[in-house]
Amino acid sequence: MEMSGHENEDVGFQHRSESILNCPSSGMSTTHLPEKVSGMTMSSLSIFKPSNGADPFFASAWDPIVSLSQSENFGDSSMVSHGELSNPPYPVVLENQGMNSTSHLVQYPSDSSFVEMVPKLPCFGSGSFSEMVGSFGLAECSGIANTGCPPKYTLHKEKATERASPIGAQSHDGRETEDGGIGSSSSGKRRKRALDSSSPFSPNKNAEGEQHKDLSGESSDVMKDHEEKKHKAEENTSGNIRNKQTGKQSKDSSHSEEAPKENYIHVRARRGQATNSHSLAERVRREKISERMRLLQELVPGCNKITGKAVMLDEIINYVQSLQQQVEFLSMKLATVNPELNIDIERILSKDILNSRGGNGAIFGFGPGINSSQPYQHGIFQGTLPTVPSTSPQYTSLPQTVLDNELQGLFHMGFDSSSAIDNLGANAGLLKPEL
Amino acid sequence: MDKTSKGIQTLSTHCSYKTKFAFRFLRSLMKLKKQHQPISSSSSSSMELIHKRSQRIKMLAYSSIAHAAGPRRAWSRAILFKLQSRARHHYFTRKRSSLDSKTKQKKILKNKRVMRNHNIIRAGSTSRVTRETKQMKKLREIVPGGKEMDICSLFDETAHYVKCLSMQVQVMQAIADRFSK
Repeated sequence: MEMSGHENEDVGFQHRSESILNCPSSGMSTTHLPEKVSGMTMSSLSIFKPSNGADPFFASAWDPIVSLSQSENFGDSSMVSHGELSNPPYPVVLENQGMNSTSHLVQYPSDSSFVEMVPKLPCFGSGSFSEMVGSFGLAECSGIANTGCPPKYTLHKEKATERASPIGAQSHDGRETEDGGIGSSSSGKRRKRALDSSSPFSPNKNAEGEQHKDLSGESSDVMKDHEEKKHKAEENTSGNIRNKQTGKQSKDSSHSEEAPKENYIHVRARRGQATNSHSLAERVRREKISERMRLLQELVPGCNKITGKAVMLDEIINYVQSLQQQVEFLSMKLATVNPELNIDIERILSKDILNSRGGNGAIFGFGPGINSSQPYQHGIFQGTLPTVPSTSPQYTSLPQTVLDNELQGLFHMGFDSSSAIDNLGANAGLLKPEL
Repeated sequence: MDKTSKGIQTLSTHCSYKTKFAFRFLRSLMKLKKQHQPISSSSSSSMELIHKRSQRIKMLAYSSIAHAAGPRRAWSRAILFKLQSRARHHYFTRKRSSLDSKTKQKKILKNKRVMRNHNIIRAGSTSRVTRETKQMKKLREIVPGGKEMDICSLFDETAHYVKCLSMQVQVMQAIADRFSK
């Protein structure tokens, strides 16, 4: 039954929205992961495009959009890697790729689902959905939420009409009511268009068609936000909205083809919040900061349950201080230790590092066979260092004499890390056949 | 053979911070040990000497980790700059023992720092200067290079710094254990 199916989806949306809030993009420096970002966005897009099923599509559809919008927000899609793919923000997707959702939305009342999302708006962060809803007034949504799915739609329409009277989007079954804030207008339009896919709305259909082409909704998101932001101040009323929307959407469709890696911030005003550009920027900034705080929370051990910025900051400061004290203590320990012979140090180098890494896949080039089997991160920390089963037993089996020679060579060359490792690699290559 | 060498090279290119740090640190440690071997022996257990050596080793450790992290991170850049300026200062004070040169050098270094701070403060937002909480100030002090960053990037840098620090502690612990055995 539609209702039951819809409810399930709504629950899913709830989880998704919450998850999205909980795991925002880490927002790591853009310089670090530009390639990653692009890769992620592309992968997310690829996920998004082919999916045209029901729930799976819906879920995946949102993911790339979320990632895209967030990547836009933070300049990289590292967030995508945070598993948000499984928890797409419903509203974000709606906004960005209404056309994609059209087929999907038809399957279930988007209004009700949309309405379901309403309560989650407060926790949505920079979700465009929240903005969209806020701008066009959640009144309709809440009203719709209270009703059944199909009736919700009509109610939505009615309420939209009430609200949209200044907006004048009533002609679109109240779909256009979302366009009250132009920012959300396009998104709302898309959503409602998706709903009305069955009903004829020729002017909108054309725009939808254009939107349908915009599977790469990333840029459309960006452009929409841009346009939306511009238009926010100038809320139009009556027929202008429709035209504007179509115009915007056509623009969006044209822009969607553009580079999806624009770093515009995709923000939507939440319900009851000021749509002032300054406050929006503030909110985006705050959300960025909170995301980074969450990332730090993951890093610092034992801080998973701490909520609150002040306490978390205290913990972080304590942790960093303790680490620095540990370094100092260890340096003192090393100073007091008798300097062992060079030969020993060479052995220590290999064994120590292997042990300390705990089989993190220390790449020496000494144990090529061992290392090749271990995953390695290219100079980028992705969460905690991976712990791979220790390879020391294999290592000890290697002939020490050969290794010592390698180590000697290693030590005597003035290496940058990369060149050293490359040399090691070369040496390891030679070493391998001997094993 | 080709496959293995290729695989090794690809692996080598995917070297982690840990490898880099470990290699660099051990190499510098060895250098230090070689330098001190003729001078110090197990009998020289004076606290001063040990303290000096520990300070040196600490600096070596930080320099190693900063080099391993690369210049892409603000905190590593800050550490390297600090070490370089300190080395420069050290060099100058050794070469010219006159007070004037010392004070001049100090002034130069101070001015550089102040200029940097001024420039960045001008460029930065006023909120950072005015509405900083105690915690943020402390965090800025702790994280190298944190004094001239906005909050967002400060958190970024802190996260990366924490990762590298914990790795540094791990490796140093292992080395210390190995040495003490």
